[in-house]
Amino acid sequence: MSSAVEAGPGASPDQPAAIAAINVTKRFPGVLANDAVDFCVWPGEVHTILGENGAGKSTLAAMLCGLYRPDEGHIERNGLPVRLRSPRDGLAHGIGMVHQHFRLVDRFTVAENVVLGDPDQTRILDYREIEKRVAEIGDQFGLPIDPRALISNLTVGQRQRVEIVKMLYRGADVLLLDEPTAVLTPPEVEALFTTVRSMTSEGKALVFISHKLGEVMEISDRVTVMRAGAVTGEVATSETNQRHLAELMVGRPVEVDTRRGSATTTDVAFTATGLTVLDAGQTVVDNVDITVHRGEIVGIAGVAGNGQRPLARALAGVIKPNKGRVTIGDNDVTGKGPKAARRAGLSFVPEDRLGTGLVPGLSLTDNMLLTRKRGFFVDRKSARAEIAASIDAYEIKTPGTEAEARNLSGGNSQKVLLARELAGLGESGGPQAIIVSSPTRGLDIGAAEFVRGLLHEARQRGAAVLIISEDLEEVRSLSDRMAVLYRGRIALEGRTDELPFESIGLAMAGVAEEETA
Amino acid sequence: MNDAVFVLTLAAAVGAAVPIALAALGELLAETSGVLNLGVEGMMLIGAVMAFQVGDATGSLWLALLVGSLAGALFSSIHAFLCVTLRANQIVSGLALVIFGTGLSTFIGKSIEGKPLDTDFTPIRWGFLADIPVLGPLLFDQDPMVYATIAIAIAITLYLNRTKAGLAVRAVGESPGTADTMGVAVAATRYVHVMLGGLLAGMAGAYLVLGQVPSWSQDGTTAGIGWIALALVVFASWRPLRVLLGAFLFGFARRANFWLQGEDWAPDIPAEFLSMLPYLLTIAVLVVWGSRDLRRRVGSPSALGVPYDRAER
Amino acid sequence: MIPFRFRLERRLERHWWQSVLTPLLSILAAFAAGAIFLLIKGFDPITVYRELFKASFTSKFGITDSLTIAVPLILTGLAAAVVFRMNIFNIGAEGQLYLGAIFGSWAGLALTGNLPTVLGVAVVLVAGAVGGALWAAPAAVFKAYFGTSEIITTLMLTFIALFLMRYLIFGSHSYWRDNEAANFPQGKKIPSSARFELWSDTRLHWGLVVAIAIAVLVWVIIRFTSLGYDMNVVGSSDAAARYSGIPVRRTVIMAILISGALGGLAGATEVAGRAYALDPNGLELGLGFTGIVVAALARYNPFAIILVATFLGGLRNAGVALQGLPGERVPVEVSLMLQGAILLFAIGGEIFTHHRLSVSRVAEAVAT
Repeated sequence: MSSAVEAGPGASPDQPAAIAAINVTKRFPGVLANDAVDFCVWPGEVHTILGENGAGKSTLAAMLCGLYRPDEGHIERNGLPVRLRSPRDGLAHGIGMVHQHFRLVDRFTVAENVVLGDPDQTRILDYREIEKRVAEIGDQFGLPIDPRALISNLTVGQRQRVEIVKMLYRGADVLLLDEPTAVLTPPEVEALFTTVRSMTSEGKALVFISHKLGEVMEISDRVTVMRAGAVTGEVATSETNQRHLAELMVGRPVEVDTRRGSATTTDVAFTATGLTVLDAGQTVVDNVDITVHRGEIVGIAGVAGNGQRPLARALAGVIKPNKGRVTIGDNDVTGKGPKAARRAGLSFVPEDRLGTGLVPGLSLTDNMLLTRKRGFFVDRKSARAEIAASIDAYEIKTPGTEAEARNLSGGNSQKVLLARELAGLGESGGPQAIIVSSPTRGLDIGAAEFVRGLLHEARQRGAAVLIISEDLEEVRSLSDRMAVLYRGRIALEGRTDELPFESIGLAMAGVAEEETA
Repeated sequence: MNDAVFVLTLAAAVGAAVPIALAALGELLAETSGVLNLGVEGMMLIGAVMAFQVGDATGSLWLALLVGSLAGALFSSIHAFLCVTLRANQIVSGLALVIFGTGLSTFIGKSIEGKPLDTDFTPIRWGFLADIPVLGPLLFDQDPMVYATIAIAIAITLYLNRTKAGLAVRAVGESPGTADTMGVAVAATRYVHVMLGGLLAGMAGAYLVLGQVPSWSQDGTTAGIGWIALALVVFASWRPLRVLLGAFLFGFARRANFWLQGEDWAPDIPAEFLSMLPYLLTIAVLVVWGSRDLRRRVGSPSALGVPYDRAER
Repeated sequence: MIPFRFRLERRLERHWWQSVLTPLLSILAAFAAGAIFLLIKGFDPITVYRELFKASFTSKFGITDSLTIAVPLILTGLAAAVVFRMNIFNIGAEGQLYLGAIFGSWAGLALTGNLPTVLGVAVVLVAGAVGGALWAAPAAVFKAYFGTSEIITTLMLTFIALFLMRYLIFGSHSYWRDNEAANFPQGKKIPSSARFELWSDTRLHWGLVVAIAIAVLVWVIIRFTSLGYDMNVVGSSDAAARYSGIPVRRTVIMAILISGALGGLAGATEVAGRAYALDPNGLELGLGFTGIVVAALARYNPFAIILVATFLGGLRNAGVALQGLPGERVPVEVSLMLQGAILLFAIGGEIFTHHRLSVSRVAEAVAT
């Protein structure tokens, strides 16, 4: 397959590929994660692996960097077969991976993180020399960083820089970036792309893993598209477009925008006024006002860690706000706990699925009971009927109603959680409002469409929906009105179709802007 | 200071602190690598009974100490295997180690129970320094193991904070996934440090029967020191030098009856209540220093007690 | 290089027979390991094991004696199981048992003089449960409010309880001590109205029925009530409990108090059924610690606890019977050692009920 592909710009055909996967297959219990995949990158190019959640992108990347070993097939480096038994082997061969969830020790400094596990260091570490080198690399590739800073004090964007510096320090010239833009503000994305270009101009090979078509078109030279563990196409970006890539990714023509039909009423479903939350002396939610009307979807965007979690928890009664009030319908539920909020008609899908929304060690049946009213004895019979019906409706893959929640995959546990919290939403007797954190994270496109459909139906029935998500596209495509959260404050709010993209980006990055109310 | 009994008690407290400190330093190493080993008491008992047998048979203190330490390390490898390789619950495994260690050491030591050992560590006198009031008997007239313990604590501090290997250990305890990605062998690191912990616990047990009370008895020898050592690690915020300080405090609590019973002014407290002192102190220390928030702030290893599984990140 | 690769994979489905097979295999493995130590010490393991089983499980008196020890073991086993399954490690059932005995014997001495037997025993049991719960209370409160590790506090409280009990009998002329006894200090006997009735000519008493009834009660609470459900949720995830509005602190305290009460009950049944007095020598048997082994081996299932307690009770009994063997005496502690080994193998085996070992051939595609 790879022989059919022309060399990308910046690559010379007579040179061997910097890294290549030859016919690799990887199985996990019950899953064929990669099925006879071929993939290669030349020095000086950016090659994207594109695919939706669960398509096998991360598994392929994990094999390229030595985290997993292929069950069949092998990896080649500069045209020679290599056996990568661990990420250590990968690094020794100059292959470095920047994971979506950073691999940094929060309590360590930048310098300590950079030299961790480096076999070339002296037995007693010479931090002065290390710090000098880190600063040099930062200068060279446009990655300014203080080598003595503690990771826990850095922003997400800075941490990503540390990850890249770490790989460059160890001499990596093949870099794999797993969904690097997912956590960044638009200006940070631009800075990252500048760094990426400076690295390719030095002859480094970059593998970019993404499902965002716009970025893929912008940054990469070639794209390999994966679906259900197999490669469905390999194209040069100069010869394709977003729609074509989307079809390769999903396997059928897709509609890009699913929003609409305005049903907004003026009937207030729930409000927060002057909501302020302190955590360990720090203000994490700062004087936030939110109103959600019946029949309306409101979205809250923002980079992770800007107060989304405490905001959602304070609204749902899980934590007590230090100041301000929360009203659901006519009930003031401020600080009265989650049970009171539910009685007043508010459902809540928290950010952490397994562990907060679902109890890992309990059966699916018992998990349905978690947010239901319980008497002296628990009523498992009706819960079992409810989950059985949901398993069919949501196409949840599980051995049965008594399987432990921890044994479900991310997407399936998300479905169980949504089934419980969306049940009866907007119907008489059911909850009238819901807070949903990242409603479609971890779902494949089909399931995500299904969930969006449910939220829209509930909205049509008159339910009030508040979506909190780090995925800006998700917020923009789902909500009637939206707000941007920055350092616990509402930095920008307005009707979604009236807010310019640039202003949203700047608000997410905390650049002071006139409020477009 | 005219209070000779008090000074003698302080000097005795230094000796009593040695096994507590050694066991706690060992536990500190295991915990820094992310493995909680509640089996300290069991490892100490095994170290003690083996050391006593060797000491009894050969008369060589140092050989006995070596065998006791190695027995502790070997015994702790059970915990390493269960928790690192089989990813068992570390708490339950540690408890099992105590129960097995108690049973096995009693079984092995049946024939030597109550037998005295006629050899003992000789204190090192640092010339005129030993004649300084209070400080002399306290610091400059102690047996070699006291100085060895201090040296071990300093060595561990330097190891963890200055060396490449020490950085890797801390990373394994903080974030094994990160350490693994960066090429640190997580399982091997944990094995080594659990076993180093066992080595020091075995040494602590050996010192108890060789240096402190030169005889073996199952319930009298360790008397919960292994558990106190666990609390001490928390009290010391995982810092080796603070372990020494805390161990002295507990050593004093263990010897306080000696002082109080020798004083005219002291009320006549029943012996049983004086014996409760170290245990009450442990609870107090844990309540004050072991609170959840404080533990997080002062540096309890983030991945402590969590088995690492590469496939389930 | 080894051409095979071993890996533990999580089982998606579990079968009931796995949870029976694992404990059985671990018992066998422990006996095999114990045989090695017996051989080193110069005993014939086959003879020892044969005598061991003969002593505990073949004669009428052997079986009833095993069941007699099973009574406190069922209760300490339940004490461990109730909280261990929530990942709360009250390892102080031993101390709670002492306090149960102190409270129970006090109630027996002070309150039951004129009561009918059933009521008298009930008073002793309730007092014992209260004593055990009270002794667990500090650990519960410290854990719930400060996050203090209950593992160490409950154990420290055990040492303190031990010295307290010794003080009451050996160190003072307390209410519990029989001050008329001229020789060795001993506890005052409780009146017969506070004692369990014996079963015909054996040492077995009605405490067994009480212990079994309590096992059933514990099962009902855990399985069918909202309190049990809350305990399950808190045990699996604090965050989920807070999210759903379950009071985490109250549930944790409640669970530890129940556990303590069960430990105390074990002490009270010992007083009412066997010792008839606060008798440190008769109570310092490590029954609380063995409860941990019972619970773990029974995989925290109340009904399995009854069976395992009987088995380990027999093992403990046999230790004494082994003294009668010809030749050099086999130490009583052989049963203690076996217990520890059984627990270790059970923990090791536990992983295989959740995971399976997958063996695969390493791809030989690459020649390095």
